[in-house]
Amino acid sequence: MRELGFNHINAIAVDEAVGLLQKYRGKAKLIAGGTDLLGVLKHRILPAWPEAIINIKTIPGQHYIKDDTEGLKIGALTKLSDIAKSETVRQKYRLLAEAAEAVGTPQIRNMGTIGGNLCQDVRCWYYRHPHHVEGRILCYWQGGKSCPASTGENQYHSIFGGSRGCMAVNPSDIAVALLALEARIKIASPRGVKVIPIEDLFDSFGNALESDEMITEIQVPRPLDRARQTFLKSTSRKAIDFATVSVAAVITVNNGICEEARIALGAVAPRPFRTTKAEEAIKGKTINLAAAEGAAAAAVRNAIPLHKNAYKVELVKALVERALLS
Amino acid sequence: MIRRQKIRLIVNEQEYELLVEPSKTLLDVLRDDLGLTGTKRGCDSGDCGTCTVLLEGMPILSCMTLACEVEGREIQTIEGIAKGGELHPVQKAFVECGAIQCGFCTPGMVLSAVALLNSNPTPTTDEIKKAISGNLCRCTGYIKIIEAIQQAASSLPSS
Repeated sequence: MRELGFNHINAIAVDEAVGLLQKYRGKAKLIAGGTDLLGVLKHRILPAWPEAIINIKTIPGQHYIKDDTEGLKIGALTKLSDIAKSETVRQKYRLLAEAAEAVGTPQIRNMGTIGGNLCQDVRCWYYRHPHHVEGRILCYWQGGKSCPASTGENQYHSIFGGSRGCMAVNPSDIAVALLALEARIKIASPRGVKVIPIEDLFDSFGNALESDEMITEIQVPRPLDRARQTFLKSTSRKAIDFATVSVAAVITVNNGICEEARIALGAVAPRPFRTTKAEEAIKGKTINLAAAEGAAAAAVRNAIPLHKNAYKVELVKALVERALLS
Repeated sequence: MIRRQKIRLIVNEQEYELLVEPSKTLLDVLRDDLGLTGTKRGCDSGDCGTCTVLLEGMPILSCMTLACEVEGREIQTIEGIAKGGELHPVQKAFVECGAIQCGFCTPGMVLSAVALLNSNPTPTTDEIKKAISGNLCRCTGYIKIIEAIQQAASSLPSS
């Protein structure tokens, strides 16, 4: 990466960071943990070089876990390892602690932040192919003629269709947990501050942040004590890997009957999403094997597997069933 | 023309003043500027753990860290683990248990193990496996490495 030239700026306030993003007009990138960004830079997969990298780790007061009667507030720069270890999160928001613990490796969790995990770029080995290895692979988004995954090695790609021709998946573990927990995201920009439901953070391709927006806080409403929280991540190896399929669920049960269900799926589509089909199928029903199987089947009803990833459909069904019955 | 920055790094309790481009990683600086080649460049993309160093006692990936961003913070590499000519108990155990074959993963493994035992002197086997889950080894199959860390833990003076 020696030949790259970018300016490096240590921001000391959120206003400064978003002001710089605006000034650089899309040609600057924020760096938090750096575990996604540095890979993206080293492999030269961005369409254009950033002219500046803006370090937001130097902004004080962005690293906190606060809990009160309304819920949890987590600073966007809070490390994944701190979230995984936090007694507060482990006791009352177990799903989030398990998701944080499942990310990457101990080293990555010591560097990566919750905000950064939500902002990670999509995964596809054609899109992410390193520039310096055996010649460029230009996927559709990089100016190539078509999506190589659609007819190629698509074992790890989307089973719910592509987004404008792109079959990549978003495997963020934090995103599925926060979707099931109905989190809200605070975003700062030169235009002020807004708080949006986490669903609106993702559009059909990656995240929907403008180039001058920055996540500052994650807000999680307190789940009911009797809500069952489950996080399931299927991977090829026991550690390190991104999810092949992930499921996060918050299920409220009363006398064996499902009162409310929030079920989120990750790594199966260009964005993580709640499967309202499965949620509606299980709501109001007694949770037993037949009902769980029905909900699992509903979750994949409009799946469009590619020629090498139909196994993901079965995996989603199995994990949704397991989450409901746990 | 991108300007180089003057930064002050503290590595193995020694201070260094360096001129670095912003894009230089900590790994680049450790190996190429400071000659501390114990830290390895394996995948250079955050997947293998051979570049592991301790930042204020915490294992991180030096290949995914910009050098200018760890200015003034205490970094420990494998070269700083043995004290006064004496191997650290983890290093001793690695040697005694046959946990080293080609040795390429060893610096990162040892540092992950040192960090583990510093915060948890009596780890279970599962805790050991989790602590080294970010360090890949292609030679040993991990069995002897786990044994070595267990041996090191039991050889520590009890608190």
